[in-house]
Amino acid sequence: MKKEVTFLWNRFSLREALLLGFCATFIVITKATLRMKLGISGHSMFFLMFFLMLSRGFVRKTGAATLVGLLAGGISIALGLAHKGPIIMLNFLLPALVIDFAGIFLPRLTSWYPACLLVAGLAASTKGASAAVVELMAGAPGDIIFQKAVIEGLAGVAFGMLGSLPVPPIIRKLQTNRLIPSP
Amino acid sequence: MNGRRMLRSDYACQYRAVDSPIHRLPSGWKMLISAALSVGIVVVREPVPLIILTVLCFSYYFLARLTLADLWRDIRFFLIQFCILMSLFLYKYGYPAGIWPGIRTSLQITLFFIPGIVFLRTTQVSAMMKGLRRIVPYRILFLLFTSLRFVPFFAREMQEIIMAQKLRGARLSPQDIRRPVFWKDLFSCIIIPMLVRAFRTADEAALSAQARGMGAHADRSYYDVRELEKYIAGRNRTAAAGAEAEVERMKEMIE
Repeated sequence: MKKEVTFLWNRFSLREALLLGFCATFIVITKATLRMKLGISGHSMFFLMFFLMLSRGFVRKTGAATLVGLLAGGISIALGLAHKGPIIMLNFLLPALVIDFAGIFLPRLTSWYPACLLVAGLAASTKGASAAVVELMAGAPGDIIFQKAVIEGLAGVAFGMLGSLPVPPIIRKLQTNRLIPSP
Repeated sequence: MNGRRMLRSDYACQYRAVDSPIHRLPSGWKMLISAALSVGIVVVREPVPLIILTVLCFSYYFLARLTLADLWRDIRFFLIQFCILMSLFLYKYGYPAGIWPGIRTSLQITLFFIPGIVFLRTTQVSAMMKGLRRIVPYRILFLLFTSLRFVPFFAREMQEIIMAQKLRGARLSPQDIRRPVFWKDLFSCIIIPMLVRAFRTADEAALSAQARGMGAHADRSYYDVRELEKYIAGRNRTAAAGAEAEVERMKEMIE
């Protein structure tokens, strides 16, 4: 019997890893499309949260969202869609890490509305964190960094929570149709 | 299409295919220069070193034969950041005292990103990936390459699904999508079919990769056109040298 190909310390099968890669592709496509059409701050969190939460629902393993974040950052850089340069990686990785961390304690994260909304809001609040890191290094006072992060984060949280709303019904629909395994 | 339009970039940080000293630099060197400039920018506090670094940063940018229009596309996102920061500094320190720290911090943040932007503007994906091969595990790179490969595929699929759903009567025109009432249509008519397509594609791609021996060996071989061209050129040179030597030997024998 041929050994199955596994990824990231044997965590994901090739099919799972490719599926997560496609979620990253969707994030980049929607981000690129919406950036040209809308001009509202934080709107990119809508689809970012939607696909990150979905990926965690598709592959119920710790690290799934992080892998999607990592790949989405890599694709954005490779396609030149990162207006902040390589530091854009943080914008994808930080929310993904929050989702994965929350997933350890909340196994029904993607099928239970309150948990889904709460975690998406928390993850989306990391918007502006990469800018805050740079501001901190540039010597801006802590209270100004915090105020700016709050201003930028609020819109992100609103869009992120909105983006996570369709996740539980979609996950349930896919489980009913046996496209993903039920817990 | 005229030449000027072809040279114009469509979006920020888009790779610009021109010949410049920065374009010719290896990606590792560009990364090193970018990192050094970015670190230098965030550590300075005094006006004179900041002006020097600003000049260096913009020289690096324009040495890559990037235009003012490109610069505008790349840094216009920071204008909102500049406005927020300035208003916060003025709110905290008052009118004259808040101006310099506000300008300094905003300028430092904008300049911090410029070397990275130059890297993206002057480095092709293939060169980036070649550099990454040495530091990133090949399985992660495989995923990255595959995801990149499927960007146009899924973009095309999405267009086809939208077209088909529109023909079936779904309200998916740009005017409809702006109204939240029709967002349900957006999910049920586009996102779910796309996800089902992604599941099927992942199955097919995984099967295809395994059938090609993916994961059979610890290391992976790469098809590199440049390496192949070098190898063929080397072989041709050796063959030509061999043929010349043979001709010389024949001549000597005849004489």
